Amino acid sequence: MSRFGFRRICGAAVACFSAIAAGAIAGPAEVAQIKPRQDKLRDMGGALKAIDDELKKRTVDWDNVVLPNVQTLKDRSGYLLNWFPKGSGPESGVKTYALPAIWQKYDDFVKLGKAMQGETAKLAQVAASKEMDALRAQSLATGKACKARHDNYRSPDYEKENED
Amino acid sequence: MSAVPAMDEASSARLRIWDGPTRMMHWLLVVLIAVCWWTGIQDQLQWHLYAGYAILWIVLLRLYWGFVGSSTARFAHFVRGPRHMLDYARTLHHRDSAHSYGHNPLGAISVLVMLGVVLAVVGLGLFAVDVDGLYSGPLSSFVSFRTGRHLAHLHYQWFEYLLVVIALHLAAVVFYYVYKRQNLVFPMISGSKTVPGPVEKELQTAPFWRLAVGAAIASAIVWMVVDGIYYFL
Repeated sequence: MSRFGFRRICGAAVACFSAIAAGAIAGPAEVAQIKPRQDKLRDMGGALKAIDDELKKRTVDWDNVVLPNVQTLKDRSGYLLNWFPKGSGPESGVKTYALPAIWQKYDDFVKLGKAMQGETAKLAQVAASKEMDALRAQSLATGKACKARHDNYRSPDYEKENED
Repeated sequence: MSAVPAMDEASSARLRIWDGPTRMMHWLLVVLIAVCWWTGIQDQLQWHLYAGYAILWIVLLRLYWGFVGSSTARFAHFVRGPRHMLDYARTLHHRDSAHSYGHNPLGAISVLVMLGVVLAVVGLGLFAVDVDGLYSGPLSSFVSFRTGRHLAHLHYQWFEYLLVVIALHLAAVVFYYVYKRQNLVFPMISGSKTVPGPVEKELQTAPFWRLAVGAAIASAIVWMVVDGIYYFL
């Protein structure tokens, strides 16, 4: 066998072993969290986009667009911190952009998560007042709270790759 | 208005080949693509958006100038058929081939591909969705979140294609300078170059008002894309 062939077999064996070991450590419950987590985070991004899109228009549909999407953001952000159990990072072997830093600096991650929850709660209050400028400012603050977590705890590869 | 080439004692002539607007658009595009690249990787996305709008303005103006601008800027002047390009490509290895007046037939491909790819990158960016809703493209409201994210990835991917096109363009410039001893950069700065022997060609410069009209049209389109369209929604 050539040296190149031997290296490839060794590499494949190491990769298989790593995947099996990662699965054993992560556990099926943690791994099962990853896909729904991605779907729910995407829903939150979609809700924030729907609000921002509506705010660009001359007339805003508060009841059918803004308020339901604000509710989605508020509801989802309430459970946000439950979606990242230890073992649901890249070590699970499942494709995820969640960085190991989440669990290494978990207190900071929780702090930013709570800040996000605070911003979505304020967003709900502001949306109830149906004040366009106030909602625009609070939507910006909510986006910044999302970005603060993404900047530190999401892989930059997310911007380069198609997540689907 | 036109410039007449001047003969010097050594029977070489100073020939004006590029007008001011064409040179300005070329170098602004160079600077703004660099700004877009830098602001993209540095996460300075508000500036990235501004630079992208400026690039859109320049490309629109360059397309307009390609139809009504000075003689060498016009597409009709340098975009020829494939046969013409093949004939030129066959002589590419000749070190002493004649100097082209304006873009040579292979340079024409470079111009069209460059403008097309830049327009594709900008077009994709206009619809790209930022997950945090802070720096989405101005037309992202017209696509779904998922589609907008897909377009954001394509925006990134097509920028890499643009880098390849730029690398090929620079390689061609170096090839002409080193192998064929033709400096293509200096004429794009000064507007003119020295060619051997007497020349009879001269640059037919377009009047300034045409540039002003083009700038106004390009500005109106960019404003409409960035903001104006929402006045109608």
